[in-house]
Formats: sequence, structure tokens, C-alpha cells
Amino acid sequence: MFEDHHIVLWLLGLPLLSAVVVWCLGPTRGPAIRAVSFASSVVVLLLTAMLIVRFLAISGERSPVTEDTVHQESKIHTFKPEFVPGASAEDRHKTTWNILSFGRGQIQFYLGVDGLNIWLIVLTALLMLPSVLVSFRQITERVNEFYAWLLALQTCMIGVFLAFDIVLFYVFFEVSLIPLFFLIGIWGGSRRQYAARKFFIYTLAGSLITLLGVIGVVIACSPDASSKLTFSIPELVHEVHKNLENEDTRGYWSAVQLWTFLALSLGFAIKVPLIPFHTWLPLAHVEAPTAGSVDLAGVLLKIGSYGFLRLCIPLAPDFTLVNGLPIITWLAAIGVVYGALCAFAQDDVKRLIAYSSVSHLGLCMLGLFSLNAIGIQGGIMQMINHGLSTAALFLLIGMLYERYHTRQLKDYSGMASKMPLFAICLVFASLSSVGLPGLNGFIGEFLCLAGIYQYEVIDRQQRILPILTVLGASGLILGAWYLFTMLRKLLFGELREPSHEGEPITDLTVREWGLLTPIFILCVVIGFYPRPILHTTEPDVERIGLIVKQARKRAGLSIDPPPLVTGRADVR
Amino acid sequence: MSDAVYSILWLIPVLPLLAATLIAFLGPRLLKQHSHWPCILAIATSCVLSVMVYWHVQGAEGDAPASVASYYPWIQAGSGPYAVNIGINLRADALSSMMLVMITFIGTFIAIYSIGYMHGDPGYPRFFAAVSLFVFAMTLLVLGDNFLVLFVGWEGVGLCSYLLIGFWFSKPSAAAAARKAFLVTRIGDVGLMLGMLLLWMMYGTFNFWDVNDAEGNLLYSGIFNQVERQLQLGTLNQALILAAALLLFCGAAGKSAQFPLHVWLPDAMEGPTPVSALIHAATMVTAGVYLLARCTPLFLAAPDAQLIVACIGGFTALMAALTALTQNDLKRVLAYSTLSQLGYMFLALGCAIKFASDTNLVTFAVTAAMFHLFTHAFFKALLFLCAGSVMHAMGHVIDMRRFSGLRKVMPITHATFLCGALALAGFPLLSGFWSKDEILDACYQASQEGPYASVYFTLLVIAIFTAGLTAFYTFRAYFKTFWGEVKVPEEAFHHGHGHDDHGQGHSASHGGHHEPKTSHESPAVMTIPLLVLAVFAVGVGFVLGPLTHGFAHFLHKTPGWPHMTEEHHMNIPLMLMGTAVVFFGLGLSWLMYVKQPELPVRLAASAQGVYQLSLNKFFFDELYQGTIVTPAEQVAKLSAAVDSGGVDAVVDAVGLAPSKLGELFRPIQNGLVQFYALAMVLGLTVFLLSLIYKL
Repeated sequence: MFEDHHIVLWLLGLPLLSAVVVWCLGPTRGPAIRAVSFASSVVVLLLTAMLIVRFLAISGERSPVTEDTVHQESKIHTFKPEFVPGASAEDRHKTTWNILSFGRGQIQFYLGVDGLNIWLIVLTALLMLPSVLVSFRQITERVNEFYAWLLALQTCMIGVFLAFDIVLFYVFFEVSLIPLFFLIGIWGGSRRQYAARKFFIYTLAGSLITLLGVIGVVIACSPDASSKLTFSIPELVHEVHKNLENEDTRGYWSAVQLWTFLALSLGFAIKVPLIPFHTWLPLAHVEAPTAGSVDLAGVLLKIGSYGFLRLCIPLAPDFTLVNGLPIITWLAAIGVVYGALCAFAQDDVKRLIAYSSVSHLGLCMLGLFSLNAIGIQGGIMQMINHGLSTAALFLLIGMLYERYHTRQLKDYSGMASKMPLFAICLVFASLSSVGLPGLNGFIGEFLCLAGIYQYEVIDRQQRILPILTVLGASGLILGAWYLFTMLRKLLFGELREPSHEGEPITDLTVREWGLLTPIFILCVVIGFYPRPILHTTEPDVERIGLIVKQARKRAGLSIDPPPLVTGRADVR
Repeated sequence: MSDAVYSILWLIPVLPLLAATLIAFLGPRLLKQHSHWPCILAIATSCVLSVMVYWHVQGAEGDAPASVASYYPWIQAGSGPYAVNIGINLRADALSSMMLVMITFIGTFIAIYSIGYMHGDPGYPRFFAAVSLFVFAMTLLVLGDNFLVLFVGWEGVGLCSYLLIGFWFSKPSAAAAARKAFLVTRIGDVGLMLGMLLLWMMYGTFNFWDVNDAEGNLLYSGIFNQVERQLQLGTLNQALILAAALLLFCGAAGKSAQFPLHVWLPDAMEGPTPVSALIHAATMVTAGVYLLARCTPLFLAAPDAQLIVACIGGFTALMAALTALTQNDLKRVLAYSTLSQLGYMFLALGCAIKFASDTNLVTFAVTAAMFHLFTHAFFKALLFLCAGSVMHAMGHVIDMRRFSGLRKVMPITHATFLCGALALAGFPLLSGFWSKDEILDACYQASQEGPYASVYFTLLVIAIFTAGLTAFYTFRAYFKTFWGEVKVPEEAFHHGHGHDDHGQGHSASHGGHHEPKTSHESPAVMTIPLLVLAVFAVGVGFVLGPLTHGFAHFLHKTPGWPHMTEEHHMNIPLMLMGTAVVFFGLGLSWLMYVKQPELPVRLAASAQGVYQLSLNKFFFDELYQGTIVTPAEQVAKLSAAVDSGGVDAVVDAVGLAPSKLGELFRPIQNGLVQFYALAMVLGLTVFLLSLIYKL
């Protein structure tokens, strides 16, 4: 009765619908607005749960590696989205729904789910719930508009992840800026307008360049007036690979890739953010309301890393492999250390956590750009884990700010004796963030490091000093350094509260710890049982692996570089 | 593989974990002052199960008395030669079952002791939750059959150490010490992680040993099997093995507080004393020793790494012993003594080298290290608990200058402390005597041949000298605390036995029978564990040591330890020499602290430089502060300044560019028609001229 692709459509439609309803309720009917928003996010979360169950059921058959290994080598690989609404009868991975048809092509309403995006969609849905709940008391003005923008933001974020049409992707990518622009600009802190403007213009500038890349790829894929224009990402990837494998067109395409890579990566690099394009982030975080920070850190930053994975690597594989990889990995590795150092020097807790995002996403990018299965899986894990732990940290800081109206570390001391439950939650979130084994953070960090280490030692034959790995690993020490210093200053020592007026300060309320509990449970579950995630992402990571493998062959790099130690036993 | 062991193995770590969860959720509201029950029951049950595992291994025949239980695949990623394939696999062999019994046995008694010690503390449930969690992590650490499971336990014990050092978190020094402990050990942990990754790159697995299924087919291949195979074939890559061994040693040095990562352990004494006994003396800090013993096949193949291990161990032993000579805080004396004894263990591990094809020394030296670990756990836990008992009675004063003559006040504590002190000093026939003698012997054997014989000989001399120092500082502490005239600090009479300095308050625990102006022995719940541990501290070496070879024979069942072709014989001259040094140290401390108490003061005055060096712990803290911590903080500040003043300023400048560009051209748009007309005419002229002259 409720088919798979209906879930996909409802995921996209329901938040938007709720946004409209909430808006129409008017600013005075607070309880009704909150109820609708809450109900909507719960339903969306349930829908994603259904999505996972159904996706897990089919993910066993999704592996691109078939028995036919001879055929495998020459096969052209591309993405295979599942649960596509409007799927055509002959191919369930393609859609028939056109938004706009013109001359040589059509822009399609092409949505789908695969291993690369499913967990990011889940993350979006999961973080919506605490975002809504935490704002119950924090937001008192223009309530309807706030929740409407928040819900609209959810639609945009889910849309970006779901989209398999490059124009649709781009539209969601751009439109997601608008709700956040208003969330920061209206309900933000004292410098909210500057922050909102900077965030908007900076990321817009990046994504306009991305647009150039998008147009470039589409046009390059149809070289003459007679050929069809396609906007479907799987088809574009397929097209690019066909041309690259073809001796005649390879020369032209190698040149095209340079521009594709530059244009796409600049926009995504700003979004991730890679240094030195990160300075909008601390500012936006500090000024954003808690819900905005949660969505910004938890989900929006992942659009950047997801973009690299979905578009940049598959559409410009040769250039990524040969030229892009050294640049991006170095930026990421430096970002790990630099972000951590900047985080340590901050006195504003939100700024501190914002810089920690720069550091953590540096490690994520290191994993993704190691371009091997382990690294990419680690990168995806790191995206999810960073979303969970950073969201928890922002939520907690938001709760503290709600009570004392300051986020300066120097104003606080020994808060653990005043708010023990808060202290436990903050310590837990910090432990998740520093990658304590047994919690979620470790899985991602470990796999990212393993991936980049494999890249350096095997692919680059860098045996003496694998510097990228060392820089990445130093992030683990530095991460513990700034977070545990923050904990010591904020929670431990003699109690010193900032001055506050009004009602007496209480520990976390039921609503507050209740909204954190799902995140924490997930932290433990992923820490001890990451298999569902690793299992579902594997087939699509393999696809990217095969794309990269072919690129390696074209670049004249050996596909099976010599191992570190010869004569090792076969591993099963 | 026995089904019985297979099915109980997981319970050993899981029971304490359940207890921890139970106490964490129910403790503050429901269990309150009964929070110790789940903890003690869980650890005691684990202890019984551990003994069962021990008997199983003891009774097992043949070469592979190990049970491996794989519960579920944990992390699986990638494919091909570089797949990551890690299961939650637990292994019960001789080494791990010995560790298990020791951890859970000592853990049980320390938990019982804590009922008295922590009585009335508002954080009572939190304490027992953390202790249970610690036992979970520690048992997981020694049970893990691959590096990742070991690493979970490894970081888990670090977390519990952090939580328990900072138990009285309102005290700034405790909060600082907790952070320091976590960060310093984390530096080592990253080394361990890189070592694991290197081994994975080399051998494609994280498992220690091959795992076969029921039919004998290979399920997983292990690192150590491959190392052994390569060693036989001579295809071993020496440089890589050395690198891997040293990286693993980094981790061990961090956790076991070896130079240069030793600075956190003395500060860790800020935690409650049972924690110091359990975590920072008996169990967690020996994790590094366990790791190296576990990786014997690897270190066997890297003699250069062994030399470094031995040198670091010997240096730490000496340096810590010298520091312990002058400390005034009883717990710090014991902490430095722990450092020193851990140094001994690493020294022994470093002696595990093979000469040509003679591998007897390897097994002998590693067994010596493990035996010292075993005996040390008992007597050092005992000493710490005695120190805790003293603290409990002295109102949390631990400065030895402020109390003395306690042997009359606290007879049981005194007697048990004496047992522990004699054992630590290596008094003949007590446990420490046997284990220390084995270490000296291992050192002696290592100095007999090989390219590094002279280095090992120097280490032997250092070890013997340190044995004398150990006897001296141990009895210095003993005499200062329990001998001389009775002196009790003011705080002991304020009711509520301390905790006050932590701002924690202490409910009137002995309210009924409190008499002013007397201080008294600790309650039975504290003294009984002392007595039990004292019996073990005295007798364990006698029963299991070289006289019976009980310990050695059991431990030699550990897979990967080379077979000993001949029984070890006691080295009587070395033993006599060691004993002489111990008696000398003991006599000297008697002379200085009982016979002529003014002597130490004069000695300190006459050798001010050396005295200050020792008193200030060789200024390591100051050195690190100056060379690492402060520069790192400066770099962080600089980065933040560059970020807002440099990187962001560029962004703002770029943002301003369009409007600046606009301003540049603004004067042209001045609204004067004459100006436009002029510009038009001029422009046209230039255009026409360029056409005419074809410019």
C-alpha cells in the first residue's frame, strides 16, 4: 500500500507541507505551531526508519561486483539509485518524471536513495527533532516564521541528498541558503546581520562557481547540436566515463576535467569548509540560534563533503586522482591541525566547537580523498558521527546559554556541581567527539586514518614518514586537548556562575535531556554496532572505487601496487 | 576449545559493565549508599569466572591452551588485501587468564575497602559506577584477541582513570591532574594506533593469532603467526618491525607511565586512594607491560627495540627511585615507587632477547616481568590501601611531616604496611624478593653475550643500585609514618574524616563512638582487605615463585612464547648481592630516620643541588611546560589571530572589492552634460584617429 518511492516523496513533501501549515497558523498560536513542527519531525523520522528497513532488505543485492569479473574490467560504472519515484518500467533506477522539457533534453524530478545518501537523510531527520525541541523556549518572537523556515530548511537538505538530477541538486543546494539566511539574520545574536550576509554571500559565491561546473559538464557531455542533453547524475557519470575510456575523446576530456574539478570543488570546499575557505563558519555558528547551529554543523556542512563524493570525484576522476588529491588532502590535513589549534584559543564555546568542525571535517576529507574503500567509508562514518556529536555539543551549549546568556569560558567554572546532569551529557558528547572507542566517533576516525594511511604507504609508497596520517592522527591528541581543556574550565574546579537574573537556574529538564537521549543512544549503538551503516554504504563505495580504479589505469598508475611486506598470508 | 569457557568468557567483562550501567542509572536516586552492591557482586562473580577460566587453561593439554570466542563482526570495511575485518573476539590463554584473576581478585577487595573509605561521599554511586566500568574495560583489554578490542579496553581504562582522578572535581588540582593524565596517555595511544595501522599494512589483519574453525580451516590469519613464519624464512623486514615495535612501545610507555610520558602518574594521586591502588598501581598502569608481553613474538624479532625498551625501563626505574627519596607526600612516594617498579618490568621485557637460536632468555625475561607485575600488584595495592587507611584516620592529611608514630594508633595498618614495605623492598623470601631477583637475573643473562652486552651490564648495575634505593625510600616512608613519637594532625580530630578539603562534606560516619583527641584504626571493612592482601604480598612469591615454578610453568603455556629447553636455576651470587644491597638500604634508612633523625636534614643541606633536583622531580613538569605546553598554547593563540586577522581579513577585502571598484569609477558619473559631451568628442577623436592610422 505504501510503496518505497512514496516514502521518498513524503520525506521531501511533508516538511514543506508542515512549513506552510505552520506559517499559516500565524505568530500567536505558539503551542499549535510547536505541536505541528514536532509531529512533522517525528513522522519524518519514522519515515526514515521505514526507509532504512526497506533499504537494508535490498542492500545485499546491490553490489556492483558481480560474478562476471572478466566483463568487470571494461564495464562502465555509475550510481544506481533505488526507490526512484516515477521509475520507468524498464529500469527501476531511472525516472520518467520531467520537470522541464526542451529541445534536446529535459530536467527531471529525479530522486532516489543509495548508500551514499541514505544515512545523511537519516541524520537530517534525526537532528530535526532536537532542533525543534530545543527551540521551544529559546524562540519567542515570530514563532511561526521560525518553524516554517526550519522545516523548509529540512526539505532543502533532504532534497539535496535525494536529488539525482544535477539541476535539481543545484536548486536545492542554493535554496538551502535562504532558510538559514533568515534563521541567522532574524533570530541570531548581536552581529546576526553581518553573519547572515557573510554566510550567504560567501557560500553563494562558491556555489555560483559550482553552477559553472555543472553547466560545463552537461554541455561537454553533448558535444554537438544533435546529441541529447542530459542532467541526470548517473547518466552524466556514465557519459564522462564512456568518453574517458574512448581513446578518441580522452584528450579533450582530460582538459575538461580540470575545469570541472576546479569549479565543482571550489563551491564544495567553501561548504565543507576546507581551509582557507572556512572563516564564514565560526561567525555563522556564533550568531545562529541553537537550532540553526545544529542543522548547519550537523547537516549543511555535509552537503559539501557529499558533493565531493557524488559529483566531484565521479565527474572528474582523472584530475581528482592526479592533481586534486594532493591539494585536497594537504588542505584537509593542515585543516585538522589548524582547526584544532584555533579551537583551543577560543574563549567562546560556540566558536570553539565551530573550529572543531573544521578539524573534524578535515579528517573526513582525508578519508574521502584517500580514494580507497576504507577511507571513503570512514569519511561517510565521520560525516554521520560529526553530525551527531557536534549537534549534541551545540545543543548543550545552547541550553547553557539559555540559562546564563553568555558563552564565554572565562565566565564559568565548576558547573558540574551546579548542573550534574548537564555535566554528564557534555562529557559524553565530548568523548564521542574525541573518538573514544566504543562510541561512534572512533569508527569514523579509525577508518579515515586507515584509509589515508593505506593511500600514503601503498599508493604513494611513502614509507618513511606518512605525514598526512601523522597530521590526521595528531588531530586525535589536539581534539582531546581543546575539548578536555574546555571541560576543565567549564565544568570542574570551584563553582563560579555568571550573574543571572530571573528564575533560579535548574539542571536539564526532562525535555532537554530527552531530546539528547536519541543522539546519545545512537552514539553508543554506532560505536558497538556500525555494521548496518558500513554494510549499506559498501556497494556504492565500491562503485566509486571501481571508477577510481579505471582512472588509475588511465593515469598509468598500477592498480595493485606492491604491498608493504611481500609474502604475507592470504587474508579472508 | 571448551564450550564451557567459550560461553562464560563474555560474562567476565559484561557483568561489571552491567553493574556500571545499573549504578549509573539507579545509583543517585535508588541505591545511594548501597551502590557498592552491584559493583562488588559483579566483580566477585567475574573473579569466580576468571578462576574457572584459569583452571581450564591450567588443565589444558598441548601447545595451544587458548580459547577464542568470536562474538560478532564489529568493523568491516573494504575488500581485498587491505580489508578491515575486526570482530569482537576474546581470547583466554595463560597470559590473559592470569591477568584476569589478578584484576578481578584485587578489584574485589579494593571495592570492599572502598565501602569504608568512600563512606558518606556524595559521589558514592558515581565512584562505584566508574570502578565497575574500569573493571569492564580492563578485563576487555586483557581478553581482546585483536588490537582493536584491546584498544577499546585501552582507551576505556584511560577514560575511567580520567573520571576517577577527577573524582573530586571541585578541587582544581584534581581537575587539572585528570586532564593531564588523559592527554599524556593519549599521546602514547596515538602511537599505539599508528603501530596497529602499520602492522595491518604489513600483515593485513589486526588479529594476534590465527583462528581456525572446528575443522581446522583458517578463519582469520594472525599477525604473530606471520611474524614467526617470516622469522623462520628470514624474510622479515627488520626496519618495519622495529618501527611497529617502537610505536607499540609508545602506547605502552604512555599507559605505564614510562619516561618521557611518566609525568601524569604522580599527579594522578589526586584521585581517591582506592583508585590509586587499583588503577594507578595494580592494574591499569601495567597494561603497557601486558601489551609488550602479549607482543613477545614481535619484540623478539626486533632486538633493537628491546634495547630501547630496556634502557627506558632502567632509566625510569632509577629516576623515579631517586625522586621518591625526598618526597614528603606518602602517596607520592608510592607513586614514584610504582613508576620505578614499572621501569623494572620494562627492563625485564627489554632483556627478552635471543642469542643465536637460544630463546630461553626470552621466555624467562618476559615471565620475570609478568611475575613482578603480579607480585607488585598485591604489595603495591596493599601499600596504597594502607596509605588510604592512614589518610582516612588523619583527616585526609598525607604529608609525612605532619604525622608520625602511628604504629600504636593503627596497629593493623602498621602491620600490613610493614608486610607490603618488606615485599616492595625485596626482603628475602617475600614476594618482591623473588620477582626482583628474576629481573636482575634476566638482566645478568642478557649481559652475557650479544652486541649490546655492555649496555645490559650497565642496566644490571643500575637495577641493583635501584634495589637499594627502593629499600631505602620504602623504609624512609615506613619509619616516618609509623615510628617516632606519636604525632597526629589537627584535621584528624575534626569529625568527618576529611573529604572536607574537597568541599564534599562527610556525613557523621562514626558519630556514635567518636571520642575527641584520639585517632583510631580504620573500620573492619577496610582492614580485612588489608589483611588479605598482606597475606598475598608475603606469600605469593614463596608459593608461586622460583621455588615451585608454579607461576612460570603456568605462564609458559602462553602461545608465542618460545619453549624453555632447560629449567631455570636460581643465580645464588646475584641473589646474595641483591639481598645485601636491600639490607644496606634498609639499614641506612633505619639509621637516618630512627637512630639519627637529624641526619637527613644535614645531608639535604650539604647536597642542596641534588636534593632540590630530587625534591622537584627533576623539573620534568617545568621542562614540559616550557618546551611543549606553553609553545603549543602560543601557537594556538597565533593561529586564532592569523585566522581572524589574516585569512578572514582577506575574505573581507575580497568582499569589499566590488564596492571599491565601483568607487573608482564613480567620479565619471558626475552628472555634468558638458563632461559627457567632452568625453564623447574625445572618445570619438581617438577612435577615428586609430582608424586612420591603423593603430
